[in-house]
Formats: sequence, structure tokens, C-alpha cells
Amino acid sequence: MAKVLVIADIKQGMLKGGTAELLSKAKAIGAETAVAAIGSNIESLTPDLVNAGSDTQYIADDPGLELFSAGPYASCVVDAAKQFGANLIWFAFSENGKAVAPRVAAQLDAACATEITDVILEGDQIEVIRPAITNKVMQRVKINTEQLVAVVRAGAFEAAEGITGTENVVKLSIPAADLKAVIKEILTDASGEIDLADADVVISVGRGAKDQAGVDLVKELADDLSAGFGSSRAMVDGGFMAHNKQVGQTGKIVAPTLYMAIGISGAIQHLAGMTGSKVILAVNKDPESPIFNVADYGIVGDLFEVVPILREEIKKIRS
Amino acid sequence: MKILTTVKKVVDVELNMHVKDGAIVEDGLQYVINAWDENAVETSVRLKENNGAETTLVSIGGGDCTDMIRRCYAMGIENGIHIDDPALTKADSSIYAKVLQKVYEKGDYDLIITGKQSQDTDSGQTGIILAEYLGLPCVSNVIDLEVTDDQHIKVSRSGDAGTEIIELALPAVIAVDVSINEPRLPQMRGIMMAKRKKIKTMDLAALGTSSDEIGAAAPKSEIAEFMASESRKSGQKFEGDAAEITAQVVALLANEAKVI
Ligand SMILES: Cc1cc2nc3c(=O)[nH]c(=O)nc-3n(C[C@H](O)[C@H](O)[C@H](O)COP(=O)(O)OP(=O)(O)OC[C@H]3O[C@@H](n4cnc5c(N)ncnc54)[C@H](O)[C@@H]3O)c2cc1C
Repeated sequence: MAKVLVIADIKQGMLKGGTAELLSKAKAIGAETAVAAIGSNIESLTPDLVNAGSDTQYIADDPGLELFSAGPYASCVVDAAKQFGANLIWFAFSENGKAVAPRVAAQLDAACATEITDVILEGDQIEVIRPAITNKVMQRVKINTEQLVAVVRAGAFEAAEGITGTENVVKLSIPAADLKAVIKEILTDASGEIDLADADVVISVGRGAKDQAGVDLVKELADDLSAGFGSSRAMVDGGFMAHNKQVGQTGKIVAPTLYMAIGISGAIQHLAGMTGSKVILAVNKDPESPIFNVADYGIVGDLFEVVPILREEIKKIRS
Repeated sequence: MKILTTVKKVVDVELNMHVKDGAIVEDGLQYVINAWDENAVETSVRLKENNGAETTLVSIGGGDCTDMIRRCYAMGIENGIHIDDPALTKADSSIYAKVLQKVYEKGDYDLIITGKQSQDTDSGQTGIILAEYLGLPCVSNVIDLEVTDDQHIKVSRSGDAGTEIIELALPAVIAVDVSINEPRLPQMRGIMMAKRKKIKTMDLAALGTSSDEIGAAAPKSEIAEFMASESRKSGQKFEGDAAEITAQVVALLANEAKVI
């Protein structure tokens, strides 16, 4: 029987939705489930970990683990994987997951696959499906090891209704800090902003917004909708948006219910990060812009004119 | 400082691509340097120019890599190694990392710079696995770098919580993102000089190893088939009076799509 260890996705002390999605998939394929939770002051998350669908909770809780550090995090995951006897070790899509998964795989001498959208088990044979070449194709990948460490693409699995687990907490020993890679500081961008990864609505701004005034205009729309506020690479390179707000192949992969691309042309590298969205709205003044090829609703127009009207109309329809 | 930079020849993603019978149709494809590796090359060359460093690149597989390596020479890289061996056709990230481990061990490098991912697979694993094999510190998704002293560099990593400033003890491995810099265009003088430079081509034996030691015949994972990706259909596009069409679309978002 498959044994799936899911690495809890914890941000700012909160358990993110991806964890329940991965555990739901694990249960759906009939696997035994465990979760590994790593951080500081996370004891209180135990009920959430159980409710997300885990039957064993491996917890590494220590002030030294407050700031993410790939080395010690990987040690905790390897420890949990060994204790549980996991053959599938899954991370939800995140920068931290992408940094830790290959380390864990190397230490376990296991295969590693990133960005997987599905997993197929036939007896002992594991296969995964994943996009490649900037999403131009999909691959079916055969895993030749007994264990697979994988990062699951955002939006690939759905959380099941009414799923639950059982409490069985195992404390992990705390690894030493990585003295060769020392975190000096974390520069956070404007705090309290909505995390792109689990926002129901994501609004991204592109070069069409030109400058800070344009960015602020689009941000007001995002604020109205309590939406995650993302960006194309052009606006990150332009210094208007933080790197970790970039949506696309080399940034965040998002799959919200509603994605709005405002002044974004729809380069393949941007599309690679957002075509998993349920509904896409694009605003672009160029009717030939490739973004319209993937948009469910397209408004051809000047965003400086359209965005204020969008705000008004949305307010109207909501009241 | 001695720097080893990894570069890979990969398919040009901007061109159209078709899948037939589980494979990508070769017709019409072109091959280029992996975008992230170009940033890795630029990072190395800047370190050479600003801090003094010896720069070497290594590329594995990819058939004839002469043009790509010459382009990197023209950008300022000094030495080039091409590892080419028929045993490596099934190589996955771990096998690439094993080969790179051998290259590293022959060269006494202080810093290895890889691209964060390769645009043919988008896996993002090789540099990190290499660091594990070598027991070296590693930071991926690096968007800025500064040399602090002979033994340390300071890097910025774009992480989940924001931009992390991390001090790394050398030797170390970093995997850079495209945001780290704007790769230069090779200049005529560099291009001319590059033509006279040698490329050291080696097979596994010349590298002092073998297919067996690398485990080249038994990759941990292999591509069973390619499939066409599901493309989204374009929906309704509205042109005309901004107030009118915007109101129309908002009504559709509320009543048809039911997302607001
Ligand atoms: C290796 C690699 C990785 C990359 N990764 C990413 C990634 O992760 N994410 C990403 O986004 N990009 C990525 N890129 C960059 C990508 O190729 C594009 O350059 C980028 O997405 C363009 O951003 P943009 O659409 O905002 O700008 P542009 O392509 O310049 O488009 C601007 C759009 O705004 C429209 N416009 C202009 N004025 C107005 C107006 N007043 N009203 C309405 N519309 C207007 C224009 O018609 C145009 O369509 C990557 C590139 C490479 C090579």
C-alpha cells in the first residue's frame, strides 16, 4: 500500500490549502497518509493538520526553524520519510518546496519530479504527468525508484469535502542550523498582502500599466476584490513589483477561480503560470494580443479607462 | 576565485512544437542556450570583471555545442568543457549531477553557478542535487549576488516569505534566476577571439569515470512519452465603447461564470 508523506505548507503560522489538496489526493489513491510540519510555534496547528487529512503528524517545532533554511528543512523531511516508510513524498507548489525536494531526493537516493499534475500507481510502478518546455507539451514520466519526491503543481489536486484524519503526533529531532548558508535578513514586501498561492481571485498587472500610477490603479481593483496582486516579469524587472509577485514559468504558478490579466501581452512564459485558472479575464488595448487566446472574457481597451469602470461595475453588481 | 558555470543546449521554446506518437516532432525545431544559463554565464563574467575570477563552463550532451560555447566565450568565459558520451542519452537530473560532480572534483572550483532550471524540462533540480552530492551549501532562485570576502558571498533568494539575504561560505553552489541580470550581447571583437579558442571535449572515460559509476544506464526517472498540452479555448472578446463592454463583461462574470 502506498504511503504518502505530505510536507505541510505553512506560511506566517498558517496552514495553507495545498496541504489538504495533497492529502485528499493521497486518500483518493488509497494511501496511508502522514504530514511533516516544520517551523516555530506550530504546535497549535495540530488540529488543522489532522483535519487536512493526515493520520500521523511528524512535527519539528523549534525557534531555530522559524526562518526557512533548505538544509535543516530537508533533514526534517528525510527523518519523517524514514520513520513513516513513505514511498511518495509530496510538496505543495512553493519556492521552499522546490528548494527542498531535490535535496530530500538526493539524500534518499530517490527520483525527484517537480510540477507534477497527476500521479499514476500500478502495483509498485509509479508514473507522473507533468508539463515541460514552458507548458508547450506534457510528459508522462516513469519513475524507476521505489520512492518518489515530488512538487505538485498549484491547482493539480482538489481538496475533498469532509476529509479528516486521526491525531498521532510524532516529534522530530531538531537538526543543527546550516552554518554555511546563513540567513541574515528577510525583506518582506508590504505585509498583510494576500498570498497569491491561495487567493480565490488573482489580478496581475503588466507593462501596459506603464508606471507606478498605473500599478496603483490596478492595485485598487485588487484591493476591492481582496484579490492576490501579481505581476508579469516586465513590471518586476521595471522595479514596480517584488520578484515573488511574478506569475509565470519562473515565478508563481497560480490557479485561482478568477484571474485578471491587465495590460499583459500573454507571453508563453506568463501563460505557463496562469492557464490553470478557472476563469480568465484580460484587458488589453491590442485586439491581436495573444492573451486573448486564453481568456474567457476579453476587453479590448485602454486599461486606464477600463479599470475604473470595472471597479464601479463590480461594486454595483455586488451591492 | 575559480568559477564553474553549467550551460545546456535546449530547444527554443518560442517556436511551434508538435507531438506525434508520443514524441516531439523534430522538424522545424531549433536549439539555443538555456535562458537561465545565459544569466549564469553573465553572472560569472561579471564576477571575473569586478572581482577577478577564472571562468570555466561545462556543458553535457546536446550534440554539437560549438556555437553555443563560442557564444559564451564571446561573452567573456575563458575555458569550455563539453562532456559528450553516448551513454548519457537517458540522463536525468541525478545523472547530470553525478557527471558535474566529476568535473568539479577535477577542477578545485570555489563557486558553481547553474541556471535555476532548464527550459526543456523545467525541472530545476540539477544544481541542488549536485550540491548534495558534493556536500556544499546551496541557494537556488538567486536574484542578486555580492562577494563579501575571499571565503564568502552574499546572495538574495526570492523565497516564499520575501527576499532572503543569505551568506554562503565558499565553495558553494548557486542556481540563478533570469532576474539576476541582463545578459550582454557578444561584441564583434569577442566573437572573433572566440573562434580561435579551444573547446575541451571529453567522454566519461576522459573524465576519469564510466557509465557504470555514473549509473547512466539506470536513470531514476525517464520520459515515457510526450503528449500535447491541453490548450485553453479563447472565449468572448469585446470591442467598442469601454463603459458598455466593461459593464457587459462584469455582468457575465457575475451571472454566467459566477465568479464575482
Ligand atoms: C526564461 C524566461 C522566463 C520568463 N519568465 C516569465 C515569468 O515567469 N512571468 C512573466 O510574466 N514573464 C516571464 N518572462 C518574460 C516574458 O517573455 C515577457 O517578456 C513578459 O511576460 C512580458 O510582460 P508584459 O506582458 O507585461 O509586457 P509586454 O509583452 O510588453 O506587454 C504589454 C501589453 O500591454 C498592452 N498595453 C499597453 N498599453 C496598454 C494600455 N494602456 N491598456 C491596455 N493594454 C495596454 C500591450 O498591448 C501589450 O500586450 C520570461 C522570459 C524568459 C526568457
